[in-house]
Amino acid sequence: MDTVIPKTSTVLAALLRADFTTQWRNRRSVILTLVVPVIILISWKGLVAIKGGAFALSNSITIGLIATGLMGYTNAIARDRDKGIFQRLRVAPVPTWTIMASRICVQLVMIILVTTAVFIAGNEYDKITLTPSGYAFTYFTAIIGGLVYLSLGQMVAGLITNPETVNSTTRLVYFIFIMVGMFGELGILGVQIHDLEHWSPYGTVKTILAGSMEPAKWTNDTSIALLLTVLYAGVFATIGIQRFKWNTNK
Amino acid sequence: MNDRQENILTVNGLSVSYGKFQAVQNVSFSVLKGEIFGLLGPNGAGKTSTLSALEGLLKPQSGSIVIDGYDAGEKPLYARASLGVQLQSTSFQPELFVIEVLELYAGIYGLTLTRNQILAILGEISLEDQAFKKFGQLSGGQQQRVSLVIATIHNPKLVLLDEPTTGLDPQSRRQLWERIEAIREKGHAVLLTTHSMEEAESVCDRIAIIDHGRVIAVDTPQALIDKHRADPEVISVSRRGKITLEDVFIALTGKTVRA
Repeated sequence: MDTVIPKTSTVLAALLRADFTTQWRNRRSVILTLVVPVIILISWKGLVAIKGGAFALSNSITIGLIATGLMGYTNAIARDRDKGIFQRLRVAPVPTWTIMASRICVQLVMIILVTTAVFIAGNEYDKITLTPSGYAFTYFTAIIGGLVYLSLGQMVAGLITNPETVNSTTRLVYFIFIMVGMFGELGILGVQIHDLEHWSPYGTVKTILAGSMEPAKWTNDTSIALLLTVLYAGVFATIGIQRFKWNTNK
Repeated sequence: MNDRQENILTVNGLSVSYGKFQAVQNVSFSVLKGEIFGLLGPNGAGKTSTLSALEGLLKPQSGSIVIDGYDAGEKPLYARASLGVQLQSTSFQPELFVIEVLELYAGIYGLTLTRNQILAILGEISLEDQAFKKFGQLSGGQQQRVSLVIATIHNPKLVLLDEPTTGLDPQSRRQLWERIEAIREKGHAVLLTTHSMEEAESVCDRIAIIDHGRVIAVDTPQALIDKHRADPEVISVSRRGKITLEDVFIALTGKTVRA
């Protein structure tokens, strides 16, 4: 018996190359993901003076993270599952975790790109600058925040198998997050909605992003938001992984 | 026992269920090195479920699968590395070019191939000029050729083909048969499922007929015909006087059309 199992690094390299190429070929949707938070940031120029740069940047990045994790990742895995692309990969001598790890790596790069795009737009249009540690810390919390939406997307794809239903569900959740998140934060929807929003996956991610932009202003509230963010990611990921089916046929 | 007689695949007491539905019940058969083995059965007989269990896509309820000496339950990656697989409905990332799909699968089987080597592989199936087209832009026959090349890119000892000729025109089907026979010439074994009795009769060394999740006959096509030639049921379904494998198949599995 001389059967050789390919090295995990070789498998991952091949998957990453294919997944990044796929992402590149979908660059129109990538650009949209980058443009929406930038447009929101630019349109909020007037609020920067009132609520502060961290408020505007953190909201914009949060919206970008939701678009990346919830819309991009979730719809891509729902489509690939429906088309049998995962089944074809799974009959190869590939540890199944590498298939998802490669997808998540692509999304992590997207998170960095979204965050960078918002930083550049903030600097160019609103003259918002952070300290070097503020930038570094924000990239870190953006990844943690992005994981919340990736795991939420995983949960949606785990609970729903039909790709069209997954698509409409993620759009609905995206819309709710944006509306309740942005207007709830401003207090337009009342105190209760404001509190609900503050401790929701939108609010906690926004809070830790704002806190990391100004580390000196990090409070107990921000720490609780960080804990909740990690908790949300853990719960969503656990449900999403447990309920995820690799095919839609059976 | 010489090499030709060694089993490359041994399935023993395999059972697969979906909830309460028993799709495969206590199925046993073996595939010898260098043989083309056909798994025939009506719709819903359990062919694809059996293949899915062999491929590692379904967890069997009971039974064992040994591929090239590796127990698929204990060493799934080794078992899968010995397999080449063409699924019933093959799909690859629609954004990738054909050459990129081949690069991906070469990579995940641990092969390091240059673009020129991949182009040469595509040249062998006369698709060199389609290398920078997307898989979905190819014709049905071209897609089958590409997916067969991908199934055999790592030189597997056993190739599983799930209804490989479905939807192909006669020319493409005949060409595919030749490719399947070429795989055998290289010493590899092939396990295929098909609804085409003509295909099974002309290509397969041995066949197993499966129905309601059970294997009801295993032999060479000619031996099956000879064995059942005098059965009244076979004679009654025979349409042209000459007994064919299709007559034997219908007599064994019934005339009722399955969903």
